[in-house]
Amino acid sequence: MPPDNGVAPDEGEILSVRGLTVSYGEAKVLFDINLGVKPGQVVACVGRNGAGKTTLLKSIVGFLKPLSGSVTSGRTPLVGMPSYDIARMGIKYVPQDKKVFSDLTVRENLELGSYATKDYDWDRVTGYFPKLKQLMDRKGGYLSGGERQMLMIGRALLGSPKVLLIDEPTEGLAPSIVAHLKNVFGELSKSTALVIVEQNLPLVCAIAARVYALKEGHMVAELADRESIRPEVCERYL
Amino acid sequence: MMDAQLLISGVIFGLSIGSIYFLTAIGLSLCFGLMRIISLDQLLYYSVGAYLTYSLSSASGSVWLGVLAGMIVAGVVSFAVERLVFLRIYERELPFSLITSFGILIGGIGVIKFFWGVVPRPVPVPTLAQINIAGTDVPAYRLIVIGIAGLVYAGIWLFLNRTIIGKAIRAGIENVEHVEGLGINVSRLFTITFIAAAALSGLAGGLNAPLIMVDPQMGIEVLAFVFMVVIIGGLGSIKGTLVSAIIVGQVVSLGSLIYAPLAQMAPFAIMLLILLIKPTGLYGSALLKR
Repeated sequence: MPPDNGVAPDEGEILSVRGLTVSYGEAKVLFDINLGVKPGQVVACVGRNGAGKTTLLKSIVGFLKPLSGSVTSGRTPLVGMPSYDIARMGIKYVPQDKKVFSDLTVRENLELGSYATKDYDWDRVTGYFPKLKQLMDRKGGYLSGGERQMLMIGRALLGSPKVLLIDEPTEGLAPSIVAHLKNVFGELSKSTALVIVEQNLPLVCAIAARVYALKEGHMVAELADRESIRPEVCERYL
Repeated sequence: MMDAQLLISGVIFGLSIGSIYFLTAIGLSLCFGLMRIISLDQLLYYSVGAYLTYSLSSASGSVWLGVLAGMIVAGVVSFAVERLVFLRIYERELPFSLITSFGILIGGIGVIKFFWGVVPRPVPVPTLAQINIAGTDVPAYRLIVIGIAGLVYAGIWLFLNRTIIGKAIRAGIENVEHVEGLGINVSRLFTITFIAAAALSGLAGGLNAPLIMVDPQMGIEVLAFVFMVVIIGGLGSIKGTLVSAIIVGQVVSLGSLIYAPLAQMAPFAIMLLILLIKPTGLYGSALLKR
């Protein structure tokens, strides 16, 4: 079935968003958004608070139902699909709130990720985040912000997702952890496409191959070449 | 001054009432914790359990067979209710489930009246044995009820802490969206929880049947106490529900020994006091809004 706006997804894209319009009740918050992600590509979405970045990610993974438009992965339409099925397809969302299950230990948090994906190989997770090995028996509620972020990303990595949508991963984190995450994203992108919503423009420009700028629910720019993906250029669209 | 024998009897009586409250309240608490619904229809499953116990014990002579059948039928009825009604209203605001479940409770009472009539029904106590505790004879059946509630608590604890479904339910109580985001079918967790809650309410009704007269309004009669147990314990907390059920059971029992009207009034005073000190209940967290 062709997307609502008649624009077909690019053949090479692993995730395609076309003509996406989303509202909260009567209030429209996203207008005719187009976005494409290719395998192994790092795509960033920038914009001020309230621009609609989180809404976009939540709409892609099925937590919000769009008014119109399409989200497809390969030939599979995702709109209307339960969010757990979208996750099982390998399109995972790491929310902004850094809320792990506080009453569950790190081990139990990972067990849930394994149960959902049937992937019990935690070596890849602890390879990226060795610190989690020492924290296995600590409850989520007692982790620092950085540790929680590691756990959330690590948990989402189980099942080897095709696309990882990460919402404001470095917000409120210490520079050393941000640097670590930057390296992890670089490594991850060899096997998993990343869609990162981020306000840290130097980080975005260092890792992203494509940058979308959102302003008040509208896509105001799409930067796809190294020359234009620079903090001062991105800044103009915020 | 209350004599020791009266005190021991009162404590055992209170623990057995508390056990019934616990078994009924645990369903309400879990349903709120995970699904954010107020499932007053749990009180209907409590009545269903009691009536099935009455009918089967009359027919077969075995109260225990009736209790088991009550649990199963309560679970089956709740499955139908969940699929037909709650599945459509999980996303709605809290008052919607409150009103809908109250409607199901009232409608269910009508169905009970249709099948069993309005006359209260007696159920024989499965054992008339007495056990001597510190010089006081206490009915063995009340101790059995307390023991079963204890086993249920241990079973729920093991289920929630040792099984992956239980861990997913605990995680869902914190954040359903995050659980779903991992790829776990939350709707299935809702159904499992709803049926388990109803089966426990059915168990409570079946166990309480020999201790009271089974009548169509029996669910409504315990509603206020069960609600109090859930609120005092903290919504969604299993441990809180147990502690709170013990407190309310003791307050009702010992209160009535001191001054009969206290049995009705004192639990409300305790609830107000606890909520003044800790608005989320004894073991509750601020999870009212998802």
